[in-house]
Amino acid sequence: MDDLIRELKEKVIETLNLDGMTPEDIDDHAPLFGAEGLGLDSIDVLELLILLEKNYGIRLASPQEGRKVFQSFAVIADYVAANRTK
Amino acid sequence: MKDRIACLGYGALTPLGQTARQTYEAVRKGESALGLLPQGSPLGQDAVVSLFEDRSVLDNLSFFDTIGIKAASQAIEASGIDPSSPRVSFILSTIKGNIEALGSEESDYSIAESAARIASYFHNPNPPLVVSNACISGLAALLQGRRMLLSGRCDYAVVIGAEVQSRFIISGFQSLKAVSASPCKPFDDSRDGLNLGEASAAIVLGRSEEGWEIADGAVRNDAYHISSPSRTGEGSYKVLRYVLDSIDVKDLAFVNVHGTATLFNDEMEAVALDRAGLGDIPINSLKGFLGHTMGAAGVIESILSILSCEDGVVLPTRGFSEIGVSRHVNISSEERPCEGRAFIKLMSGFGGVNGALLFRKGGRV
Amino acid sequence: MRVIRTVNIPSGTDLVALYREQMEEYPKFFKMDILCKLGFLGTELLLKSDPDRFVPREDRAVLTFSRFGCECDDRHYSGTIDDYPSPALFVYTLPNIVSGEIAIRNRYEGETAAFIIEKYDFERIRSIVGDVFQDRKTGSAIVAWIDCRTETEWECQVSLVEK
Repeated sequence: MDDLIRELKEKVIETLNLDGMTPEDIDDHAPLFGAEGLGLDSIDVLELLILLEKNYGIRLASPQEGRKVFQSFAVIADYVAANRTK
Repeated sequence: MKDRIACLGYGALTPLGQTARQTYEAVRKGESALGLLPQGSPLGQDAVVSLFEDRSVLDNLSFFDTIGIKAASQAIEASGIDPSSPRVSFILSTIKGNIEALGSEESDYSIAESAARIASYFHNPNPPLVVSNACISGLAALLQGRRMLLSGRCDYAVVIGAEVQSRFIISGFQSLKAVSASPCKPFDDSRDGLNLGEASAAIVLGRSEEGWEIADGAVRNDAYHISSPSRTGEGSYKVLRYVLDSIDVKDLAFVNVHGTATLFNDEMEAVALDRAGLGDIPINSLKGFLGHTMGAAGVIESILSILSCEDGVVLPTRGFSEIGVSRHVNISSEERPCEGRAFIKLMSGFGGVNGALLFRKGGRV
Repeated sequence: MRVIRTVNIPSGTDLVALYREQMEEYPKFFKMDILCKLGFLGTELLLKSDPDRFVPREDRAVLTFSRFGCECDDRHYSGTIDDYPSPALFVYTLPNIVSGEIAIRNRYEGETAAFIIEKYDFERIRSIVGDVFQDRKTGSAIVAWIDCRTETEWECQVSLVEK
């Protein structure tokens, strides 16, 4: 699971152009949205949906569905591990 | 006389009609040009759109340039102006112009050159202005035309709004999860996105005591987010408040809203209307007839609103059935009579822009 | 229209280096297309010494002028259509997003607009800006000429002007 979390963090940092961040900078349980987290917005959510589909074959129905999964990297990793098709 | 900027002629080419009048009559009959993209369409899949069937072009011109010229020709003829006069300025409103020519000749792709070709078709000697202000472009172009006339730099402004649909635009709006695969349902509880459309429309503006006046107008930014409208309807509220300086609410026949049928747009407009004290004024959205025609929308929707106000009716909001916004708005799927001699055209778009224009009928009250 | 001050960002400048040198962290910068980065950084340089920044105001407009709009981003986005069309790239293909980003950063709730004209022409820009000053509340504006054909060749001039 730690490897998957790290892989996800690397992909998210690259996709969302999170400048100067490394996987170590992001707590596995920190929220992705809001001022205390990574400060992601609605367009970032859409890019994350694409990231999951492209890399893991996971299609989430809507951005609202995505928000439930994109709570923290630990939650995303659990979801990906359970639902990935590639 | 000097300060009264009026609409002297209209023109339009839409999937519903060859002229503004034909389009208006089709709308009055309840016709819609919306349809699902056919299987294998080069434009994409799973989207309801409103497209031209006849895609014939004028000699050596793109389809975009062609529809711009055709709508402008009608408006110019109706107004009786000489478009080759140095006292006439051309203003083009579009969001993506000839985007399909990306990667081919620079002159085909460039919106500036499209505008120049349209102006030179009419032998106009002035460099044209292009307003590309996202979904409010048409409204912003009309406002800019009004201002150019008020400044005295020209005597007439030919304002053209045009948009052609493409895979580029449709895939982009789909990537933002903004597009519906069914006919749009503005302000409805089950609305699930917009339908993109193509259209061209033109208005000739000049100083006149007669005809419909563009009496006031404003553009304001939410300063909130580039693709999500402000939750408090900040910019939309501000432009409404601005034009309400020039009119008594009781004299308003209706507000023709943007009403794209995305969740956030319609909710935001409801909040802005409520804050501006317009919750009881009849409103309508015309997106269910022609879709969201982007750069053309501000111009064609203004024309349709003028023609309907002339006839004393508020056009229905096609696709609406059950209210799905948090504030009280006065909306209907049926055509309704109206008495006022003025209306507001309201729009919002990406980049956080919002705009309102106040139109007022000519002649003695 | 009175030009208060103007800054230029020379073609080929390292924009990331300029960002790091000139401003505090603003993660959204890295999501912007080249047109937007130029207008945004130009405005940062222009307003750096302004004492009363970031107070919401409705009396300042943001007006951008360009010949090619977002051509670089048009090409970037276009390259993603066959695979997974990118919403983050698509939004920046609208020429007015740069004026929106400047408004968001500076909390300008006034008019914003993007104009396309065939070439840089100071007198023409001056008269269009003069038209915008007919607005009853607008008293000043950020006015930018930004044009870029490629990621390394551009013209970027941003001015603060008053009525």
